This record gives sequence, structure tokens and C-alpha cells, in this order.
Amino acid sequence: MALSFELLQEAVLFGVLLGCFYAAVSIGLSVSFGLLDVPHVAHPAIMVLGAYCTHLLGRYGWDPIAAGVALMPLFFILGVGIYRFYYETFEKRGSDAGVRGLAFFFGVAFIIEVGLILAFGVDQRMVEADYIGRSLAIGSFRLPWRMLVAFGVALTLTAALTLYLSHTFTGRAIKAVAQDEPALRLMGANPVRIKQWAFGIATAVTALAGAMLIIVGPVEPSLDRVYIGRTFCVVVLAGLGSMTGTLAAGLILGISESIVLMTFGASWAPAVAFGLLLVVLGIRPQGLFGR
Amino acid sequence: MALRLTIDGVEAGYGAVRALHGVSIGIGHGETVVLLGANGNGKSTLMKCVMGMVRPTRGSVTLELDGQTHDLTQLSTEQIVNLGVSMVPEGRRLFPKLTVEENLLLGAYRPAARAALARNLAFCYATFPRLTERRRQLAGSLSGGEQQMLTLARALMTEPKILLIDEPSVGLSPLLVTHTIDKIRELKERYRLTVLMAEQNFNQAIRIADRGYVIVHGRIEYEGSSREDLGNNELIHKLYLGI
Repeated sequence: MALSFELLQEAVLFGVLLGCFYAAVSIGLSVSFGLLDVPHVAHPAIMVLGAYCTHLLGRYGWDPIAAGVALMPLFFILGVGIYRFYYETFEKRGSDAGVRGLAFFFGVAFIIEVGLILAFGVDQRMVEADYIGRSLAIGSFRLPWRMLVAFGVALTLTAALTLYLSHTFTGRAIKAVAQDEPALRLMGANPVRIKQWAFGIATAVTALAGAMLIIVGPVEPSLDRVYIGRTFCVVVLAGLGSMTGTLAAGLILGISESIVLMTFGASWAPAVAFGLLLVVLGIRPQGLFGR
Repeated sequence: MALRLTIDGVEAGYGAVRALHGVSIGIGHGETVVLLGANGNGKSTLMKCVMGMVRPTRGSVTLELDGQTHDLTQLSTEQIVNLGVSMVPEGRRLFPKLTVEENLLLGAYRPAARAALARNLAFCYATFPRLTERRRQLAGSLSGGEQQMLTLARALMTEPKILLIDEPSVGLSPLLVTHTIDKIRELKERYRLTVLMAEQNFNQAIRIADRGYVIVHGRIEYEGSSREDLGNNELIHKLYLGI
């Protein structure tokens, strides 16, 4: 039970990497749910789909990171298509779109899951690359390279999205669109096109997160269910729609889980996410970095 | 630059309720035209008809611009804004969770406005010094008067050729109303802006009007061809002063 300083250091270090992993799997949702208010529960399923596509490209000798990047334009188109369908069938028709939209996205998640089972079976799949089994030794610590990939992906996506959202006209319109659509029209922007574009970006980012997911560990078709709770937790904890907040919330979650894991054992770790969420929302309802 | 906005015989409403019964008005280049009337007489509906936010059931809304004629009833709000028609909506409608500067930059979304971004931003900050002080603050945290200034500045960022202002006095103290109207006059004089302003506060609106219309229950009841004309009209005396 006693936690030595050395052990704590190791827990924090591993927590940082785990936190980056959580941030990377959540950041697409931070755009689609956080900024656009779309109840996108199919987000983790799309990420698992991205992981399987990476696996498929891996069979033809593609490096998983290169595969993830190559999948981004395809997933962008997929995202635009999904949003367009959601808009035409649900959002356009009125104010209870939120609740019925939830059913729609659960449907999308199930279709993806069943599709993956039919195509690949229920066995676990993985990818191969030089860096996957190896570790980097820093002092007495050994950091697995696959977790450093998560670190890199999280930082890159956070930085890229933050810059895009604050320094481009479209980016600023994406931040504004859920706040007041008629007002955005008065700026000469079409809110539906803006949302469609943003959903495309969120989905493209999720493809890269999927590639990272299969680098970190093997995947199976129903893996998305594990991530629904955690990803929504990170996005809400961050304060809806804040990209740097998403990174910070991921880190907080990762470090706390890692410490709990080392002191109390693995069975308590899943409770950390929602425990944290309840405490934070009790104190700061707008989330840690929400405006 | 030739510019003329013509509203001819417009009828419009919400469901079974008709708010406008054949309204015809016109605004020429460089004019400030005021639309006077108490709440619920159709001023906002008329503004929304121009912006494509409410579709007229009868009548026409046309914009003549540099020799071309555009039928605004066939265009979307975005397309109308892209022609250079901007509106300061009633109730301010800012993006509350974005900063003052982000709100202003969103005003410059349309391509023609992006080209003039640096000049317009400098102009807005020079005209509204308070906004410069608060540029990094969230728009939602501003006072009512500051929000009205920001809404006005944001509309100027769209590089408008014609500006519609819907009820700038709503929710402001009398002093702030005076201040807002002063700013609109300053803009009009320095910018040579064409303005259509809907207002229920007669005494304030008349200060900047070149001419105006009085709208009662969705009909134009009086057309004043000058400021003096409006000031001396009996109907206005009856409606506003109760004599």
C-alpha cells in the first residue's frame, strides 16, 4: 500500500502517456459533441473502424501511422456523409433532434460493429511495426514506444486543431455555429455547411486516433463500448469544445487512473473517470476549461 | 455606386397571423431612412423580409446594385449578406462564448470583407475605444451598452453597402440610447453608409433621419420626406405624444 517516491514517479510518467492517449481518442468528439452539439455516440465506433482500416492497410505493408494519415481524407468524406444524413433526417426537423439523434448515432455504432464482425470476425487484430514492441529507456524508467506514439498524436492533433479553430475564418465559424445559427447566417456563413465541414474534420481526426489505437494495443469490433464513457467524460471534463482543455482533461484522467491503478489495483481504475467528472461538475459546471 | 433597395407591396406573416399588409418603401444610396412604429407593428418582420429570414407571401424586395437587379426574395440570408446587405439584429445576438475580437473577426467572414479586414478592424477599434480595452474578454461578459456597440461594430466588419438596424434602443438606458444613436450618426457621416433603421423611440430616431415612414398594424400610415416633415406630423404627435 505504501507508495514510494520512485513508484509515484513511474505512475505519473505512465499517467502522462495514458492521458495523451485519452486526449487523442477524445479530441474528435471534442469537435463534434463539444463544439457542434451533435450527440455523437458513434465516435468510438468510427475510431475502431479507423483501427481496422489501418490493420487492413498494414497487410499490404503500410506503416500504421502512414496508414492513419492516408485514411484522413477518406474519413473526412465519410464524416461529411454521416452529418449530411443526420441533418436531413433529424436535425432539420426540429428541436428534439438531440434525443432522436442519439438513437441515430447508436444505430451507426451498431452498424459499424456488426459490419466489422462480418468482415473480420470477432478475433483481436493488431498491426506490426518496428517500434511497437520496443521501449525507450530514460534513467531507470522504460517507456514503451507505442505509448510515445500516443503522446505525439495527442500533441499534434491538439496543436493543429487549436490553431485551425482560432486562426482561420472557417475555424472561428465552427466555434460560433452552435451558439447562434441565425446570427452566423448574418455574417454570410451557411451554418449547415460549416457543421458539415467540421464534422468531416472531427471524423478525419478520429481516423488518426484509430491508427494510434491499434498501435497501442490489439482491437476487436466491440472495443468502442469501452471508450464511449471515457471519451464523453474527457470532453465534458474539459469544458465543451476546448482543445487544450481536452488535452489537460485527458492528462488529469490518465494520471489519476495510473496512480489509483498502482495503489488500489486495476479494478478501481474505471471508477476514476466518473468520480472525477462528478466532483469537477459539482464545483465547475462549465468544465475545467469551459467558457 | 448606384444602390437602391425597393420593397413593393410586401405581405408577410407567421402562420395564420399576417404581420405586413402590402408595405412599400424605398431606400436610396447614402440615405438614412427610419421606420417608426410601436412594438408589434411589423418593423422587425419587414427587416427580416429584406434579409431573407421571413419570406413574403406577396410583393417584391429588390436590390439594385451597380446596374444589376437582385430579387432578394429568391436568395438565402447568406447570399443577401454577400451582396453587401447587413443587419444589426434586435436583441444583439452576439456569440457570447467568443471574445470581442473573435466576434469582430467573424463579421469579416464574407470574401469581400476579408480583403478589407485590417482597415475595418482598425476603424472599429478607433470608433469604439471600449471594445479595444475589452478585445480579449468574452462577449457575454460585456454590459448591455458595450454589447450593442459590439453588434454594430461586427456588422461594420461585414463591409456593408447598406445597413439595417433593428431597434438599437431595446434594453438600453436613455443615456446609452443617446450614445448609440450618436455613434450611428457618426458612422453615417464618416462612412457614407446607407441605413434603414427600425425604432420605436421617436425622439432619438428623428435625430439621424433623412426621411422616414410610420408603420401601424402592418401598414405604412405616413411617409415623411424630411426630418421636419416627420417632426411636425399629426399622426406622430398622436401616436407618440398623445396630443
